[in-house]
Amino acid sequence: MLVAWRYRKRKSLVQWFDPRAWVIFYLCFLFSTLAFWDIRLLAPFFTIALFWLLTSGLQWSEIRRPFLFIGSFVIFFSLLTFLTGRGSQELYKVEHLIRSYAAPFTLLGWRPTLNITVERAFFAVSQFVRVFSIAVMTILIPYSLNPAYYGITFRGLGLPDKIAYAMDLTMRFIPTFGRDFQLTMDAQRARGYELEKISGGLIEQVRKLGPIIVPVTIHAIIGSEDIIDAMDLRAFGIGPRTWLEELHYQRRDFVLIGIGIVILVTSVLVGFAGLGNFWVPEALIRWAVGG
Amino acid sequence: MTSQSALIVDNVSFRYRDRQGVAIHQISFSAEKGELLLLAGASGCGKTTLVRAINGLIPRSYKGELSGKILLNGQDTAGMPLSRISQMVGTVLQDPERQILGTKVINEVAFGLENMGLPRAEIFARAEQALDYLNILALRDRETFNLSGGEKQKVALAGVLAMRPSVLLLDEPLASLDPASALETLAMVRRLADEGLTVVMVEHRVEDVLNIHPSRVMFMSEGRIRYLGAPAGLMEAVDYHEVKLPAAMIARRAAADPAPARMSFLPGVKRGEAASGDSSNAAEFALVRFENVAFGYESGREILHGINLEIRKGDIIAVLGPNGAGKTTFVKHAIGLLKPKSGRVLVNGIDTHAASVAEIASTLGYVFQSPSHMLFAPTVREELAFGPKNLKHSAPQIEQQVKSSLEIVNLVDKENDAPLSLSFGQQKRVSIAAILAMRSKILVMDEPTAGQDYKNYLGFMDAILQLPGFEAILFITHDVDMAVIYANRVILVADGAVQADGSPQQVLKDYALLRACRVVPTSLLDLNLELFPKTGEFMRAEALGHVL
Repeated sequence: MLVAWRYRKRKSLVQWFDPRAWVIFYLCFLFSTLAFWDIRLLAPFFTIALFWLLTSGLQWSEIRRPFLFIGSFVIFFSLLTFLTGRGSQELYKVEHLIRSYAAPFTLLGWRPTLNITVERAFFAVSQFVRVFSIAVMTILIPYSLNPAYYGITFRGLGLPDKIAYAMDLTMRFIPTFGRDFQLTMDAQRARGYELEKISGGLIEQVRKLGPIIVPVTIHAIIGSEDIIDAMDLRAFGIGPRTWLEELHYQRRDFVLIGIGIVILVTSVLVGFAGLGNFWVPEALIRWAVGG
Repeated sequence: MTSQSALIVDNVSFRYRDRQGVAIHQISFSAEKGELLLLAGASGCGKTTLVRAINGLIPRSYKGELSGKILLNGQDTAGMPLSRISQMVGTVLQDPERQILGTKVINEVAFGLENMGLPRAEIFARAEQALDYLNILALRDRETFNLSGGEKQKVALAGVLAMRPSVLLLDEPLASLDPASALETLAMVRRLADEGLTVVMVEHRVEDVLNIHPSRVMFMSEGRIRYLGAPAGLMEAVDYHEVKLPAAMIARRAAADPAPARMSFLPGVKRGEAASGDSSNAAEFALVRFENVAFGYESGREILHGINLEIRKGDIIAVLGPNGAGKTTFVKHAIGLLKPKSGRVLVNGIDTHAASVAEIASTLGYVFQSPSHMLFAPTVREELAFGPKNLKHSAPQIEQQVKSSLEIVNLVDKENDAPLSLSFGQQKRVSIAAILAMRSKILVMDEPTAGQDYKNYLGFMDAILQLPGFEAILFITHDVDMAVIYANRVILVADGAVQADGSPQQVLKDYALLRACRVVPTSLLDLNLELFPKTGEFMRAEALGHVL
């Protein structure tokens, strides 16, 4: 099956907490991590993320695929920034060259050159730590939060009934959408369509995805009419609704929320104090200059 | 009609805002407490519009011009909020997959009660009571997505019954069920009516519903009531080509009409080429060969095992079996969408492990159940050219193949229309033409007639089987009558294995085996088996009329 629920009930730290408490902590963690580029401050966040992962009760076989996918994605972009230097220059003005490699040929008079600088190397490492910390925490969500509690979790966080139920509904129809997508894929493959052989520029590639995108979209639109009817016919949205599931905060949940808020407030204060910007060890610069 | 009637529809007409012409015209009837009313008619005759008018979706969600009155338990529904109507009228829609909103069964059944803001304890009590009433309390904590079609139908019904309506509307509840699940659903509907619920049931499978003795039948055509009365009267009042009546009844009435013309199926296969019935030539004509095929997903149970068979020139194969038996998995192996875990599948002598789906597509063309899963192009012409282009046919070849396919399915005048703007029947024909244009030798269809009315499905199948382009046809179906009328070979699949493979006469006469495979014999099969010593072949009911 294309889409299958990753969630299972496990003996794990993350599932010990109320999902609302965990979501609040996650949001605090997310915004705090985004506030920094200084690897000395990012390192604790990386540690926190690893701590949650290691106590999550997940087996490597369960998370291998998403980790390999996201890991390669993060490494690819870190490497790209490192090689081109683009996307990082606004964080530093001066670069200290470690080594320069010039190609033995020229292209229309331009000689491709790779400049390895202290700043570029350290930026790549900082970027990796920052994005990977967030990715680890995000990957935990589908594995650790019970899909049946999505609606009540968001309702409990103060969202209106309709929006909170939309979360539930999304979770309910993701497998259906996945099944429809697989059916369309099969139908088009049976007509000789080979997704893996799609080539051309970005726009051309998107155009060639039409045989998949159009039927899946049309099917979703047709299906949504029934879904809306089914909701209307069972009195959805007439007033405040009762949620079947109940969530009750325990003391430990307040502790977790407290820690999250402390982390966020501290991060904001550190940010306002002008700390947390991109940082490179002085010793490394001295070594580069000396070398 | 009395003011105490559970449901009164008084002179109701409706025209959709964005459509020309009225959808229903001056409809009047009533239904008493405990009455089971069967609502029949061809696709597009206005049945669904009438259901929407009764349950209040018209005019609240579907805008247009509505006139007339609808009374529920004596109260006029005009101006009544939908939330109030929904507590008096429960509706089970055609596709339970789209109606089920909860991730777990208990959440689904409780959905309406949650929306009504009832106390949690009462919600649990009523939801569990509804599950218990339908004997599905064991499903309480199951995930809804993983339920079978029949289970989903019951869960959807439980969700409606939990709201304690006095009128129940069922819109084609049997459409996606295998015959045994359909029988269970029908028995349940009978019980609900017997216990005082007023039930209005829209259904194409008239013959099946007549078996549970509806109080009355209403037959609609072009938005009007053509017949309303006792079931016995329906059989005389309507054209037997339009409604699937018991076979003996059709045969009796058809006897008075001229005998139907004899049809020649698979005209592209010359006499003598067909291998059926001549096993000495079988291997020579094998287009597809399964050799001890087994299949299972990575972490699941084995879905197919020990499959050994051939698809030969001239075969018209009906694949019968319950939901989840492995029928679709079997067919996906033939087309290379799935590869066997052990054993092998040969298509034109080539192992599917060594061939891409695209290469196999020139031998087997697969038409999925719903055309909307595959149609995407801006015009019919481009839709038909898509397959041959993928198979790298030359431009003049494609031009010629598209042209001849359009002619065969009689859609030449629609070549510049958008496929998705066509009617459902026309979309089905476009999907067949798309396979024809690839010059596939074998046509494979998954539930080709599901959701189509009797007249349309017979016309559709007659037309497909008379197309000149194919050497063999295979279709998956729940409808035993399709196998009786069209197949020259039946493969019975259950529990991932072939339980029987042979001529319809051989396979379908074993009622014990059929029932073990959740396949339910029909009146047409009964009559054919009874007359077989006289006819020597299976025939449609109209033809049997001239043998009786």
